[in-house]
Amino acid sequence: MKKATKQSSRLLKLIILALFGTISMVLMFLNFPLPFLPPYLKIDFSDVPALIAGILFTPIAGVAVEGIKNLLYLIYTGAGDPIGVIANFTAGTLFVLPVAIIYHRMKSAKNLLTGLIVGTVAMAFGMGILNYLVILPAYSLFMGWESMSSTVKLSTVMVGILPFNLIKGIIVAMLFIPLFSKLKPWLDRKRLSFQT
Amino acid sequence: MNSAFIIGQYIPGESFIHRLDPRTKISLIFFFVIFVFFANSVLSYALLTIFSFLVALSTKIKPSFIIKGLTPVWFLIIFTFTIHLIVTQEGEVLYRILGFPIYSGALIQGFSISLRFFLLILFTSLLTLTTTPIEITDAIESLLNPLKKIRLPVHELALMMSISLRFIPTLMQETDKISKAQASRGVDFRSGSLKSRVEAVIPLLVPLFISAFKRAEELAMAMEARGYRGGEGRTKLRELKIRKLDYLAMILFSLVIAGMFLLRK
Repeated sequence: MKKATKQSSRLLKLIILALFGTISMVLMFLNFPLPFLPPYLKIDFSDVPALIAGILFTPIAGVAVEGIKNLLYLIYTGAGDPIGVIANFTAGTLFVLPVAIIYHRMKSAKNLLTGLIVGTVAMAFGMGILNYLVILPAYSLFMGWESMSSTVKLSTVMVGILPFNLIKGIIVAMLFIPLFSKLKPWLDRKRLSFQT
Repeated sequence: MNSAFIIGQYIPGESFIHRLDPRTKISLIFFFVIFVFFANSVLSYALLTIFSFLVALSTKIKPSFIIKGLTPVWFLIIFTFTIHLIVTQEGEVLYRILGFPIYSGALIQGFSISLRFFLLILFTSLLTLTTTPIEITDAIESLLNPLKKIRLPVHELALMMSISLRFIPTLMQETDKISKAQASRGVDFRSGSLKSRVEAVIPLLVPLFISAFKRAEELAMAMEARGYRGGEGRTKLRELKIRKLDYLAMILFSLVIAGMFLLRK
């Protein structure tokens, strides 16, 4: 009997993650560009479902939601910009993992805030470094631009990518904290039903 | 949220390309993406271009649909071309526009790179135009099957993907409905400061998450009531089968790629 319940809560988790991935992908289309940054850097709230999954279940669950979101996006829009999709996945993972890992150590409001700060910093600097070393060179290879000079890359990172990811992290955190405090009592009741 | 998006990009049809096994399509496109980078002469480019256009024509999808699907990338293609015109300084000066020299090398390079980019996008978008999202997921599951050996939960991933795909239209409608409901209660999504716009999203997200949980519970119960117990021994309604058509496509594709290598400089 016990085995049957375990199986069914596992299936329920899978389905919840799938639906979170869908919500995440829908939210990706409700984006708005920031007034002072280039248009290809857009703010959206698609990381919020992944954050909730990471906190409610495990850090890996958060990564799974990010993965589903990007795969859905790829299938639906055609593979016009595969590098952008991979970059989005990496950014989301860098943001969600620290938040979920820190929160699972000690489930407190303070840890959530620390996690969101660490996540934002990890995403901003991680993406800065990755853009400099991998993503921008990959774009220039894909587009056939003779490799970008390191000054161009550095200035793109310093002026565009770094501040963008910092602002994105802050805005998502600004949304996530009140949202999570509203959902928490409800989630706690749900969590009990998963852990039987 | 336009209607074109809700149904995805798939356009039903009965053509040769539509009837290919999705696994064949995905693998051939994968190889095409790699081999496009090997083309380096006028003739090899011409061969690939003609081949892509023939494939696009054989889908019997109206060219206007295909072009519409490419709209988001036109900008990138034109941008790449312009960058090349400005940056590259090879060959002789052909024209001067407002005193700015245009080199012949720049024209050739800009054109070939833009063409390569265009071919990549065209070919990959043909996949989403001729294959339903569910077929694509089935194909991905089947292609990833060997990875079960390294304990990647392939079946679970594919299950999640098909459930997600199934719920895209549903959840989009729901998002739309909730945002209208909240707008009628006075929530303003479109204007105001950044902070107020961020806060306006909360009354949209809370009901969305809670209804997702409810749907998940109902679906899990329904699946178990019908005897779902994981991937092992599961039979399928749609079986993927490699047929003569697929072998034919593979042979044709190999011939074109071989021809491309012969025509290289």
